[in-house]
Amino acid sequence: MYAIEALSLSKRFGNIQALSGVDFAVNEGETFGFLGPNGAGKTTTIRILTGISAPTEGTARIFGRDIVRDTIAARRQMGIVHETSNIYTDLSAWQNLMFTAELYNVSRKDREKRGSDLLELFGLSERRDDKTNGFSKGMKRRLTLAMGLINHPRLLFLDEPTSGLDVQSNLIIRDVIRELNKTGVTVFLTTHNIEEANLACDRVAIINRGHIAATDSPERLKHTIRSVQSIEVAFEPVSLVRVDDLEQIPRVSEVRKQGDKFRLITEDPPGVLDGVMEYAKDHHIRVISVKTLGPSLEDVFIRLTGLDIRTKGVKTVD
Amino acid sequence: MTDLEDQCGQVCTELHAAWAIAKKDIRIYYLKPNIIVSGMLFPLFMFLAFAVGRPADPTVMIPGLIAITILFSASSIEPVSIPIERRMKTFDRLLSAPISLHTVVLGESMSGFLYSLGIAFVPLIAGILLFQTQVIGIAPLVAGLLLTSFCFATMGTLFAAYPTESPGDIMSMLNLVRLPLIFVSGIFIPLDQIPQIGHFITYLSPLTYGNDLIHAAFAGDPHFNPIVDIVMLLFFILVFQLVANHLYKKFNE
Ligand SMILES: Nc1ncnc2c1ncn2[C@@H]1O[C@H](COP(=O)(O)OP(=O)(O)OP(=O)(O)O)[C@@H](O)[C@H]1O
Ligand SMILES: [Mg+2]
Repeated sequence: MYAIEALSLSKRFGNIQALSGVDFAVNEGETFGFLGPNGAGKTTTIRILTGISAPTEGTARIFGRDIVRDTIAARRQMGIVHETSNIYTDLSAWQNLMFTAELYNVSRKDREKRGSDLLELFGLSERRDDKTNGFSKGMKRRLTLAMGLINHPRLLFLDEPTSGLDVQSNLIIRDVIRELNKTGVTVFLTTHNIEEANLACDRVAIINRGHIAATDSPERLKHTIRSVQSIEVAFEPVSLVRVDDLEQIPRVSEVRKQGDKFRLITEDPPGVLDGVMEYAKDHHIRVISVKTLGPSLEDVFIRLTGLDIRTKGVKTVD
Repeated sequence: MTDLEDQCGQVCTELHAAWAIAKKDIRIYYLKPNIIVSGMLFPLFMFLAFAVGRPADPTVMIPGLIAITILFSASSIEPVSIPIERRMKTFDRLLSAPISLHTVVLGESMSGFLYSLGIAFVPLIAGILLFQTQVIGIAPLVAGLLLTSFCFATMGTLFAAYPTESPGDIMSMLNLVRLPLIFVSGIFIPLDQIPQIGHFITYLSPLTYGNDLIHAAFAGDPHFNPIVDIVMLLFFILVFQLVANHLYKKFNE
């Protein structure tokens, strides 16, 4: 049985087609990443999967239960961390947790124990009885996560859990996701951060403008993500540099001239850097700046969908 | 499965969740300034505006004041709290919880219900202490207070279904209904003095039946049989609950 099955989900808002025929399945125990730029349809997908809004077409099943017809049973299995940290700012951290627990019918003994544990886990124990309107953004986010876990969900939805947070909050949240995963909890996580998808997820689907651009082949995706790292180099004098020559450097898959700089796409930035230095020495050119760039979502899209007219001189390594 | 579920199943679970929602609203909203204004001061001024200067018979005026107070206080929590929760996105928590939408509507209404019960005691006690009004029927009083409060609390929740993030939008729609209700419900003009042609509108107002029940408790001369009042109030509660449920569902697509 799948934890989540989405079968050609579509959603229209008036004239806006937010989702078109979205299909995917998430295995039990998996951490599944839903990666896409702003407005791609990530939140819309979560809202459908959690039964907040109904799909215009298509169906979704949570552990085999239809989310539209069997909403309550499906929701009992899940915890939801919404995109905005939607806590009650007039209540204390503890009251927020206990209220959520009551909505999910967690017994008193259980919710009190679980509540303390979660506050401890998320580093909020000392602020337990403070009204949350004084909480920082990161603290609010962590409390939102704790609220999503209060009912021991088998499936956790996380809508951009770490967006806009500092490193420390990020690390806590990532650790928690990893620990959850070890205990068999299925995690469905949306993000527009490719690094996060890469680090936290077993599998990733990429969504763009309401369409799934790629899914189901984690290795290929990870490979693609790796393969579109790049280094950006500025030479002097730039007139002596030829794109054809740069393309001959081993492990360079593509070269783009951007202004007076050159961007070399590769899966092995350090290796290519050596090659660049050698090339410069051989041709009596100076390297005046070098920058290593991580994979951009845009590059990954292009790789996966071939939807680009901008590129020239593509040379594939695989 | 938790203890609670073992004991009495889904119904208990839902009622427990409704009570949790009500408790949350009580904690958060009862002391908000705009709620105090619209729920406590507004009915008082409304009443004074119409009652002052009339040759007032306390046994008519006090039940009327109680009814108006309930109308305004019961229906003023949700039209404020729900738009705020929409804006804060906390409303999504209720909409995504493993409970029925009816439970959300019920839980929200419960806080308005309890609030107005509390507020209604002010004119009740004031009437007894200051005007020596006497309660001659406890049963119609209790039924009148409970049902009228619940009815208008549910009406407030119903109006709050309108998908806005601004309480003002809902309040102005609500006042479009609440203000006329005062005049067509036999509070200032006794029902037997309303011309026949006006009766049709009068019968469509839940406040008519609420006021009649409370009036019966003081004066003992109801216009309708109290059973009719009770049945009609229950009918309105049911209709408001069903329509509210439908609207929340619809606006949430
Ligand atoms: N309630 C709504 N009414 C109208 N349009 C909507 C509504 N909700 C979403 N949309 C539209 O659907 C599209 C997808 O939005 P969605 O919020 O799912 O994107 P997202 O991937 O979560 O983006 P972000 O990264 O910015 O959170 C957008 O074009 C958005 O404008
Ligand atoms: Mg989003």
